[in-house]
Amino acid sequence: MKNRTLSLLSVMALAGSAAAEVAYEFVPNFIQPPPGKETIGNGHGEIAVDAAGNIYVSVQEANAGIQVYGKDGKFIKALPLPQSLHGFVIRKDNGDEFIFAAVLGEQKVIKCDLEGKVLMTIPTSEFPADKIGKGLKLTNCDVAPNGDIYVVDGYGQSFIFVFSREGKFKSVFGGPGEPLKLANAHKIFIDRRFEPARVMICDRGHKRMLHTRLDGAFIGEIATGMRNPSSASFHGDLMCVAEIAGNVSVWDKDNKRVADLGTSPQTTNTPKIEPKDWKQGVVTSPHGITFDNDGNILETEWNQWGRVLRWNLKK
Amino acid sequence: MTISEFPNDESPMQHAIRSFVIRISSFVILNAPLCVFGHGAEFLSAKLTLLPDAEVLLEITADHGGNPLIVDESAAKDALLDPIRLRRDDALVPLAQIASASISQHDNWAEFAPASYLPSETESQPHALTTSAWRWHSETPEIVFEMPKGKLHDVLLWTHDGADPATPPKWMLLLAGDRSKAIPVRLTPWWRRPQAVTASCVLLLAFAYFAARNFTLRQRTL
Repeated sequence: MKNRTLSLLSVMALAGSAAAEVAYEFVPNFIQPPPGKETIGNGHGEIAVDAAGNIYVSVQEANAGIQVYGKDGKFIKALPLPQSLHGFVIRKDNGDEFIFAAVLGEQKVIKCDLEGKVLMTIPTSEFPADKIGKGLKLTNCDVAPNGDIYVVDGYGQSFIFVFSREGKFKSVFGGPGEPLKLANAHKIFIDRRFEPARVMICDRGHKRMLHTRLDGAFIGEIATGMRNPSSASFHGDLMCVAEIAGNVSVWDKDNKRVADLGTSPQTTNTPKIEPKDWKQGVVTSPHGITFDNDGNILETEWNQWGRVLRWNLKK
Repeated sequence: MTISEFPNDESPMQHAIRSFVIRISSFVILNAPLCVFGHGAEFLSAKLTLLPDAEVLLEITADHGGNPLIVDESAAKDALLDPIRLRRDDALVPLAQIASASISQHDNWAEFAPASYLPSETESQPHALTTSAWRWHSETPEIVFEMPKGKLHDVLLWTHDGADPATPPKWMLLLAGDRSKAIPVRLTPWWRRPQAVTASCVLLLAFAYFAARNFTLRQRTL
């Protein structure tokens, strides 16, 4: 009887590990830069995919802050958006897709349609004055299932602000003090793998990721000792993470690391690695990341020339 | 009464000046290097200069103008109290136990970070930097630095060749728990050490003495 129980447990464990197995293969030279350019341009932003599978990458280009590529990696167009879209997501709101973006250089959040038309702005004046410090340095935002917009002051004091769907301030949590004690909370995301949804915080200064409830109450650490987690994305039960010191990792819902991709042999964190020094399949300084609709991973880097890498899910 | 299109009844000239200032300000803000707003230097820069006679100069710089983890000068000084440790056998020795620190304030990143790692596009921007310098003679032919686990600040350790400044610096980014490669110090060749020079002088004098005495130990008597 004891042996049967052990056998059953072993089979269950094997089945569990098989379910967690995930593998990717690197796709070289996926992105084809805009005509006349050898690279996509100065990157210090994010990447996201819309429901149709088009790929959106932010670059530091005046009045052309987001480039749009097709599923095949071919350039389609640039959107007339600010050049400092450090963090953005594409989310459905009342059935339509919108871009929600933190404009680092202009201390504001914008909501726009997929053509780049700005529909709503949350200006600095809407943030509580006593939490602004020397000035907002907004790095990312995301949208909760109820439409609330979460914004993080990642290069500032790491406070996380909550606004209503209409852009009215509701509450604030996080920051450098207890209980979360955040340091350079680079980006936050609403983790809808869980019910109720959670806030996933890339606490880059502390090299960890953590979960809170939507009201900011601490749930737990997801991982520590990382290579400076900078951004994340979700697909099914998986989460992929861009670690700016030179790694892309994939995690399951039980907070287990199930894959590492493109790991740089040397820890790094610089935008100055030139194209001649890029190595196929090896990251430099991952800054933004997304799954596409099929579970493939796209990553954009902090790099003055601009770089996007892709790994396809092995099926 | 006419309705002015200019607020507070300002004159067209005043309006033009105001518009010009707003436009210039907007242009400057929108086109300022983005790293001014963050992501400047999220690390401590540790410049390692290896001097003759196994002398080591380590200058570690913190930027409290561009590092989101360091809010002010006081936090910069805190960060520099025990930024990295020296590994000796199985022990991690704080720099303060090796040498006393010399602290300075300045705004010159160019000399305290390798060009390939200078905060992006901010070379011409003013910085608020604090540098702590430690100087000591290494007792071992190689030195190894290590970051204790739990350290908040990453350290960019890079070597500066004082004898040949044109040599590209070698750098490594150390996160908490990381250990550097073994770095050989500049040992002075044995024939150029003071003891060797002294011994050579003594031998030379002895040789001269004996030569003057026709290589005899005793005074010859007639």
